[in-house]
Amino acid sequence: MSTLSFLLDGFQTALQPHNLLFAFIGVLIGTAVGVLPGIGPMSGVALLIPVTASMTSGLSPEQAAASSIILLAGVYYGAMYGGSTTSILLNTPGESSSVVTTLDGYQMARQGRAGAALAIAAIGSFVAGIVALIGLVLLAEPLSNVALKFGPAEYFSLMLLGLAAVSGLAGKSMTKAWIMTVFGLLLSTIGLDNVSGVARFTYNISYLYGGLEFLTVAVGLFALGEVFKSILHNEMNSGEIAKIGRVLPTKADLKESAGPIARGSLLGFFIGVLPGAGATLASFFSYILEKKISKHPEKFGQGTIAGVAAPESANNGASGGAMIPLLTLGIPGSGTTAILMGALIMYNVQPGPLLFDEHPAVAWGLIASMFIGNVMLLILNMPLVKIFAKIIQTPTKYLLPLIIAISVFGVYAVQVTTFDVFLLLAFGLLGYWLAEHDYPLAPLVLGLVLGPMIENNMRRALTASNGDYLVFFEKPISLVLLVIAFLWIAVPFVMKLRGKSVVINEDM
Amino acid sequence: MNKTADRIAAAAFLAVGALFMAESLRLSKSAYGSAVGPNVFPFLLGLVLVFLSIKLLFETRSYSDAADEKPPRQYKKFLVIFIAAVFYAALLETVGYVITTFLFLVIGFQTMEKGALWKSIAIAAGFSLGVYGLYVKLLQGTLPSWPIWFQ
Repeated sequence: MSTLSFLLDGFQTALQPHNLLFAFIGVLIGTAVGVLPGIGPMSGVALLIPVTASMTSGLSPEQAAASSIILLAGVYYGAMYGGSTTSILLNTPGESSSVVTTLDGYQMARQGRAGAALAIAAIGSFVAGIVALIGLVLLAEPLSNVALKFGPAEYFSLMLLGLAAVSGLAGKSMTKAWIMTVFGLLLSTIGLDNVSGVARFTYNISYLYGGLEFLTVAVGLFALGEVFKSILHNEMNSGEIAKIGRVLPTKADLKESAGPIARGSLLGFFIGVLPGAGATLASFFSYILEKKISKHPEKFGQGTIAGVAAPESANNGASGGAMIPLLTLGIPGSGTTAILMGALIMYNVQPGPLLFDEHPAVAWGLIASMFIGNVMLLILNMPLVKIFAKIIQTPTKYLLPLIIAISVFGVYAVQVTTFDVFLLLAFGLLGYWLAEHDYPLAPLVLGLVLGPMIENNMRRALTASNGDYLVFFEKPISLVLLVIAFLWIAVPFVMKLRGKSVVINEDM
Repeated sequence: MNKTADRIAAAAFLAVGALFMAESLRLSKSAYGSAVGPNVFPFLLGLVLVFLSIKLLFETRSYSDAADEKPPRQYKKFLVIFIAAVFYAALLETVGYVITTFLFLVIGFQTMEKGALWKSIAIAAGFSLGVYGLYVKLLQGTLPSWPIWFQ
């Protein structure tokens, strides 16, 4: 009962005119971000944090946090919608989670059924979004109640598990993923120590006392790194777009895709809840599942509608599912949710079990706004898909310098020092170089966000145990979490040693 | 995977890890009311990073020697834009937001593709004035406005 009344309160927050506007702007920009090749959901959300920070500057802190997270989450799931558009029309996925969609989506477009494919992708995403939200509403309270019983030792182990999960699955080499995680954690120690007030690794540079600003690092690594890559690799869009044709799907199309949408949504949701396994993996698995259980597996790859419906539902389900560990446990399971978490922390809102008690307007407002955002996306995408297809044709020569200018503006507007702008450029270079040589960037950001929390919980646990490191193994919940974390790393390692190929998540 | 690049990276991360370990030895070892000083966490992380870098170094030995064919890179374009961005950052506070942004964008657009100068100028002017107007005039934000010797 209380959940329902909280949800109603959430709708009250989300239905305030300015929040409706924020949700609308969020999903609109998100769709554009998804459509534009080269800007993924991660760089899109990172780029918009400073913009939302200035847009919400007139509101009270709590309202500002709610409004900006509503906008940023809108970008996140809007991008999942938009990503399908380029996969279908151009055979180039806008982001990695819609790679699978190209297999059947582009074939459909070549057969003149692009409109139906786009519509099914939108409907599938909508259904999956709603499924994920129902799951979120049902699981949020019980999960955060469990987490409330956690002490510092349990928290430390839980976050270690989160890092293990993400690092174990990210990128081509586990060693590289771990290096990035540890590097991120190390970067998070720069600045004044929270407990003792000692300045660490600052070398008397006053800008460093506050630590490396998460926003600067994220925008540099993702947005600028991506732009530098596009310039260096001369990635220009050719702009050969398939005709869209009739947008509404036929009854037969709907009937054929009902099953895949339902299965894809559920599968995607559960994969999304697991930390580390993001939308890319979800879309991949659901496509394989549909192909396995289909009566006509030979039709997959030839332009069957189930091959579009399933992965598109799954990637949206996963992005909704990924919100659960973020909101209830305070553990982001992917790069994008790590960035959302960084944004919340910027507003002094700490995601985790206390979120629902301390900031109900933020938590439930966000959940309710996701309902509304999904409806907006469905309405927006059906008639406007032809306009969004036009965005693909934005010339890269204007787009890339503009992204640099927006990044500089964003970082300067929030930090008001040129030191951070230089830092931004440096991290852009670093991000390009690291991504180019298969070092995954998501674990670095995750380490940077989780670092202070891991350290604080570790030190609190150790203080309570008088410096005895065994405390993490003596508490049963903590021990279980550590064992799972260990298995998460060890199992793929052993499988690799035995010559089995391990599915990995190329980026999240 | 690129052997040389990974060796450079492994060496760099090894150095970073060692540096953090060495520097954390200089930090205070105790904190009031806490059994663990501010030095422990970075020291342990530095140690882990050193081990991981050594592991990566060993892994590079099994890479194939064949250098992968690299498609041509647009180094010139990139350098021009990057240097322009560095100047943009350096001059932002003295020359002001509108002028630096405008110049950076015009240089950026023209470097990406020569020609259509007027279109570049129009878009650059529209963006720099638009952002300044929206952010400073409408949202009351702070941006360095015009050159300092101008005011």
